[in-house]
Amino acid sequence: MQIAMVIDLQKCVGCGACAIACKTENNTQLRGKGQTFNWADFMYKTEGKFPDVNYSAIPVRCNHCSDPACMKQCPEPKALYKTEEGITMYNQKYCIQCRKCQEDCPYSDKDIDKEKSAYSVISFNEVGVDTHDFYKNKNELIKGATASPAEVAGKYAVPPYKHAYAFKDDKPPLKGQKSKGKGAVADVRKDGWVDKCHFCIHRIRNGEEPYCVVSCPAGARIVGDLEDPNSKASQLIKKYKPMRLKDNKGEWLKDGEKGTQPNVYYIRNFKAEAKSA
Amino acid sequence: MRITRRTFIQATAAAGILAALDGPILNSLASAQSGQDSGTAGNWMPSTCQGCTQWCPVEFYVQEGRAVKVRGNQLCKANNGYVCPRGHLMLQQLYDPDRLKVPMKRTNPQKGRGVDPKFVAITWDEALDTIADKMMELRKNNETHKFMLMRGRYSPTATELAYGTIPKMFGSPNNLSHSSICAEAEKVGPFYTEGFWGYRDYDLARTKYLVIWGCDPLSSNRQVPNAINKFGDILDRGTIAVIDPRLSASAAKAQEWLPVKPGEDSALATAIAHVVLTEGLWSKEFVGDFKDGKNLFVAGQAVDEAAFEEKFTNGVVKWWNLELKDRTPEWAEKISLIPQDQILRVARGMGKAAPNVAVWLGPGPVMSPRGAYPSMAIHALNGLLGSVDNEGGAHRAPKLPKSPFPKFDAYLDDMAKTGGKNKKIDQRGTKAFPAISNGEVGKGVVINNVANAILADNPYDIKVAIGYWNNFNFSCTGAERWDRAMAKVPFFVHITTNPAEMTQFADIVLPAAFAPAEKWSVISNMANLYSHISIQQPVVKPMWEAKADETEIMWLIAERLKAKGFPNIHDYFSKEFKDPETGATPMNAEEFALITTKMSSASVWKPAEPLKGDKLDGWEDFKKKGIYNSEQYTFKKHWGKFGKEVEKDGKKMLEGTATFKFEFYSETLKKYLGEHAEKHKTTIDDVLEVSGYLAKGELAFVPHYEPPKRWGDEKEYPFTFIDYKSRLNREGRSQNAPWYHEFKKVDVGDESYEDVIKINPVDGKKLGVKTGDMVKVTSPTGSIKVKAKLWEGVRPGTVAKCYGQGHWAYGRTAAKDYAKSIPKGGNNNELLPDDYERLSGSTARNGGFVGVKIQKA
Repeated sequence: MQIAMVIDLQKCVGCGACAIACKTENNTQLRGKGQTFNWADFMYKTEGKFPDVNYSAIPVRCNHCSDPACMKQCPEPKALYKTEEGITMYNQKYCIQCRKCQEDCPYSDKDIDKEKSAYSVISFNEVGVDTHDFYKNKNELIKGATASPAEVAGKYAVPPYKHAYAFKDDKPPLKGQKSKGKGAVADVRKDGWVDKCHFCIHRIRNGEEPYCVVSCPAGARIVGDLEDPNSKASQLIKKYKPMRLKDNKGEWLKDGEKGTQPNVYYIRNFKAEAKSA
Repeated sequence: MRITRRTFIQATAAAGILAALDGPILNSLASAQSGQDSGTAGNWMPSTCQGCTQWCPVEFYVQEGRAVKVRGNQLCKANNGYVCPRGHLMLQQLYDPDRLKVPMKRTNPQKGRGVDPKFVAITWDEALDTIADKMMELRKNNETHKFMLMRGRYSPTATELAYGTIPKMFGSPNNLSHSSICAEAEKVGPFYTEGFWGYRDYDLARTKYLVIWGCDPLSSNRQVPNAINKFGDILDRGTIAVIDPRLSASAAKAQEWLPVKPGEDSALATAIAHVVLTEGLWSKEFVGDFKDGKNLFVAGQAVDEAAFEEKFTNGVVKWWNLELKDRTPEWAEKISLIPQDQILRVARGMGKAAPNVAVWLGPGPVMSPRGAYPSMAIHALNGLLGSVDNEGGAHRAPKLPKSPFPKFDAYLDDMAKTGGKNKKIDQRGTKAFPAISNGEVGKGVVINNVANAILADNPYDIKVAIGYWNNFNFSCTGAERWDRAMAKVPFFVHITTNPAEMTQFADIVLPAAFAPAEKWSVISNMANLYSHISIQQPVVKPMWEAKADETEIMWLIAERLKAKGFPNIHDYFSKEFKDPETGATPMNAEEFALITTKMSSASVWKPAEPLKGDKLDGWEDFKKKGIYNSEQYTFKKHWGKFGKEVEKDGKKMLEGTATFKFEFYSETLKKYLGEHAEKHKTTIDDVLEVSGYLAKGELAFVPHYEPPKRWGDEKEYPFTFIDYKSRLNREGRSQNAPWYHEFKKVDVGDESYEDVIKINPVDGKKLGVKTGDMVKVTSPTGSIKVKAKLWEGVRPGTVAKCYGQGHWAYGRTAAKDYAKSIPKGGNNNELLPDDYERLSGSTARNGGFVGVKIQKA
């Protein structure tokens, strides 16, 4: 099987619900040090001149590529591996924090501020810095009358940055990989961890769709198996001429160009085609 | 140095050691379990969002007493089970560290912006005692009318609890709601045409031509999740045209964008009406036709009224003769700057799709000093095309069963009766404030004028004020006036979640429950052809000592007043309110909150007669599901019945339009303006003039074009300012959420972590301003400093900036420096002067009524 996502740009309104919902599901921390920590994000473009302006919002996320560049230089045994669904998974156990994955992935950068990129699908939790350090802060705005973030966090077994869940990939990875697979998914990543979309594998294996999918008010995100010609995703790819992103600079793969064989497909246009009178 | 895995490997260079690391690293996943369990157990609990005016039924996922995720209520037919991005932001609002934990009192008597109130934490006991003492002083001095209660975000079914009861029973006419800073002028058009004072629903699932006029339903102004849900399919089925001076999210996706010159919308609307009539595209079924079938609507030519036989409408020929005959697309192009071929194309497209056309009227063209007529002109298009109350058109919502609260007349003492008869503080009903609300002349609230009234002591001074879930020093135009006004009020109590701008002027501050997750209440709304009643409940234990504003806190104040010799409010609360299941009366604030909630929803879970919508099995079932959905709306119910005479308190009253028809010539407007003129012994022409309108005579009763009023002459203030709303604004309360700033870029043209003013590159060049430059934006009444962004999505000569940022208080993320009152970004309300659409009492904020100049800062 190969899991894929089709994003229907005509349905997408660029509202951001998917991206914020993902943060609530997967507990990614706030932006900092050149890392976005947004597993679901957006790229925006405004072209043309007033009043003929063409604006588009392109939702972006890990493409769970069939030829994943992030895995290429990952030292063996590789921390990155493909699951039987075709998800590009990460196993912290084997990660040496070299961050080659960020360098090699065409949709990622080690430092998006330096590279001036709109987004990066792989982020890295800096070594030696607690994740979610916003909630370590002990300052009160009004002494005795308002709280500090640390005080709020200390009140709860499940702190404010966390939706508690756990998952361990018990299945062996796809054959032929120089990886031992079997990644554990932590609800909150620790410092030194790579941070990337795992396609909500904890939900997928539970028979649920990814959280960004169920949170999209437009129904613009469709997940399915590309190897199943009857899946809705396969049908949509067949019906419309799909596009796939080449990199995080807004370039698309040209006809015949394979790139890293990304598995996120974009159909239709953000801006509607004018109707003939 | 910490030993990381990388340094460890580098140090040992021993691959064999890897296996040894398995243990500790896996153990570090403290909560990890093996297998395919998707996580710690939790429950989805229903409540209601209230981040905008749509009040979406939602569900919170609760784990170990903490709300961790949000989704739309899966049973809700209005939002299809979805929330917009606002819904998810609730989590950071709920767990905002800067929320007030406990009551506070001010220890610095000096008040003003930038003056540290020197707040100190106090007990509820001390806070309530102080409030009750100040209130009792008014009763002692026989000046109860100098008490004022200001309502912000509220629950519609709780009107009788705080807003509706406390001032009246105490002896003051001053219960003041925030509504007129929202969109009251939007109700003007529908009211004076079809007799409907309210927000419309639109049949988005069937419409073939959607005209979005001066709003951006993909971002704000009503039924956002439903609009997002249906938008893509409408683009397949038909056409969407967006009339907005800036490229909004809706405009960015639509087939037609008409970037009208701000405030010139009625030129466009009357020109569309002109084309519809001259080309014979009006609905014959709804409007009627010429008796001999020949279209006599020819540009420039008057028509004999007798030649046309009208059906469900009134005055189409009068409208033509008085206004439309000269409103050609050529004429409109010069005024609105929309090319005439586009006007023609859109008008013809609408005509072709009629009656499945929805003209969605938003605040943009109408929340402006001359907004009444564009409001009428735009909505009247739904009448011309027969799409009003029709499939695929603009319609109303199914009625919901009501659960009225007990009457309190018996608890009004003489002082309450006399005090309540004083004039209201907001000057409504004075000659220049007709403030006609739903046909009640002089009864609409003019909330933004309260600051002026306080400053002028006219009609009198205010001595004690309570405000809840409002922040007028930030959210009202002419914000600076509120700073002076609130500094003048000798005793002010603010009930708020966060230390807001308005809080800085408070003497006592009470921590408010975060309504969507911590408060018992009942909310109603509609969309997608369904109305609903939904629950608000404490899905989690309230943070710190926060209490519900409209129920618990009002009970506590009432209780304290009783202890000090004024028992009436508490007697009313404790004797008249009874649990619909057990008949028990409330013994304390918490019970009062729960009982009022049960009472105000009993009509759907304990109906007197079977309901046409959802069947609920008692209170527990309602609590579990969180919602009652009505039956689906049926169309054309009002055709032929747009008005009727009803008896109210023994008096014959008009409900709806005066002719009982859809009025292009508004006898209804004539009637109410006449009543107001008579009250002030003057003419309608005079009333209109003092209200800032230009029309005289008969023209006043038809939708017509008037040039917009503009503050600041074009020489000194060359750029027309456009204010709009963020898809992440939770009414000015979400800016302390870090995610707001991370995702600010979701607003078309905006940038994350910035508050940019958007300037057309042509103007940028003239000004010598580049993207990223700091600029000083100055209007005739104020100025702000923000970053410039050159952008093609605004017309040369106009600049656009989103409302929401510019907080100088509220919290560590919202303000640049809370302690020093330094704003992050700029508040549009510092630029916009206070002005009004006076027929409704609305605050002007749109329609290009303000010019600004831009200088490099």
